[in-house]
Amino acid sequence: MNFWQDPQFGDRMITMMAALVLVLQIMMVAQRGLVTNIRAFGVQSFLLACIGVTIAYFNHAPHIYAAAALTLVFKAILLPLILERLVAKIEIRQEIEPFINIPISVLVSGLLTLLAYVVAESFHRPDEARGAASLGHNTLAVAIALFLIGFFMMINRRKALTQVLGLLCLENGILLAAISLTYGMPLIVEIGIFFDVLVAALLLAILIFRIRETFDSMDVSRLSRLKG
Amino acid sequence: MIAVLSQMAVVLFLAPLITGFSRTFKARLQTRRGPGILQPYRDIFKLLRKGMVIPETASWIFSATPYVLFVSTLLAGLLIPTISAKAPLSIFGGVLAVVYLLALGRFFLALGGLDTGSSFGGLGSSREMTISAIAEPALMLAIFTVAIGAGSTNLSIMAEAGLGQSWRFLAPQQMLAFAALFIVLMAETGRIPVDNPATHLELTMIHEAMILEYSGPYLALIEWSAAMKQLVLMTLLVNVFFPFGLSSGWVAQSVLLSLGVFVAKLLGLAIVVSLVETANAKMRLFRVPELLAVAFVLSAMALISTFLF
Repeated sequence: MNFWQDPQFGDRMITMMAALVLVLQIMMVAQRGLVTNIRAFGVQSFLLACIGVTIAYFNHAPHIYAAAALTLVFKAILLPLILERLVAKIEIRQEIEPFINIPISVLVSGLLTLLAYVVAESFHRPDEARGAASLGHNTLAVAIALFLIGFFMMINRRKALTQVLGLLCLENGILLAAISLTYGMPLIVEIGIFFDVLVAALLLAILIFRIRETFDSMDVSRLSRLKG
Repeated sequence: MIAVLSQMAVVLFLAPLITGFSRTFKARLQTRRGPGILQPYRDIFKLLRKGMVIPETASWIFSATPYVLFVSTLLAGLLIPTISAKAPLSIFGGVLAVVYLLALGRFFLALGGLDTGSSFGGLGSSREMTISAIAEPALMLAIFTVAIGAGSTNLSIMAEAGLGQSWRFLAPQQMLAFAALFIVLMAETGRIPVDNPATHLELTMIHEAMILEYSGPYLALIEWSAAMKQLVLMTLLVNVFFPFGLSSGWVAQSVLLSLGVFVAKLLGLAIVVSLVETANAKMRLFRVPELLAVAFVLSAMALISTFLF
């Protein structure tokens, strides 16, 4: 059988890339460098676009190509650029200070991954699946893990900018779940989500800038205190 | 018998070559000329002919340590498949035996560091034990992941199972386990993000602090064992995860071919290790557990995904 048309091969590639996405997510939890974190997010989005292309190719769903291209342009290139420029502009300390120390954060992420697998297991129906549906099961677990760990990152971090990164990871998880489960939502929905995220990131960037102007810090726990 | 002798020769005489190669390659990456590839052999040969200074406070443990370390590491080297999938002593034990033979050597080395009563020795021993206490579970979990896939903890059976499926290393659990084992390799062999074998700075040294009191033939044995331990761990990585080219028996021709492939794979891994070492800075000691926690979670994830993927 031709190598490039073997769905088994596609299945394997997707599983492998999904595992890499998960590794990058754990790396983001374990890393302290802010810029490294942003770049890891960029690479993660790039891998996500690759997964999209692979699914589009093996399931003959041309509109996922568009979604993958949008992911590549907005999330792998544009958003990291915007965030990196923001980091350069507000001259913050380039170190993330989580509430929980890093080894325990990493262990918590591991536990969340386990939870994600347990949840995804209940969606697994091998008897009624077509050839490609097992692919949904594997990537769904990773998608739920991304979602949970993204949430955890948002809770665990002090600085507004790093919380935005958590939000973006969470959104990556939703995208992965969408393309792996349904083989893509209608294109118009995808475009809507992308612009939504882009605008949200831009607005948050401006908001972070304002927080920093007003409070001389990005620490969101200071927002609960009255000023003046 | 021939199998035992030839594998013993491979483990004994290839180990300093790998150490020498990675040192020279690292020097070249830093645009230094560096010592020749054969320098570790010269060091060992020179040290074996020198006299020894033994501290007055040392007990029998101090003298026993080099021998225990050397023999246990060599035995571990005979339990893993290097140039043939059939490791010569594999009927005596599998991967658990390898891990605990290495642990036995480490235990005695730590005792030897404490034995002289010097403050550096104690410092080195306590650091070594702290690191290995976290590195060992990660190592075990990663190996178990592969063992479950092969249905046995016997390394020969694991390597043979790997020979059957050529694309196996692309499976996510294999990759996760490999990444975890790679971090463990860096930690256990004292590579840069964890330890720097080239300095004797009291703030950072781990391995060197423990063996500070050793000299002459004892030091030669310890250095040689360190090289062999590195070879054992690297072999574990290359032959369990990428067993292609491994001869399945002990026929002269295929063993020679597989020796060539084996050396090439080891040198490839040494190049990757040197690149990682050059690209990273030494971590603060208190940050090392973070790195090892990542290794542990990676291997735990590998184990989870073995059952669920």
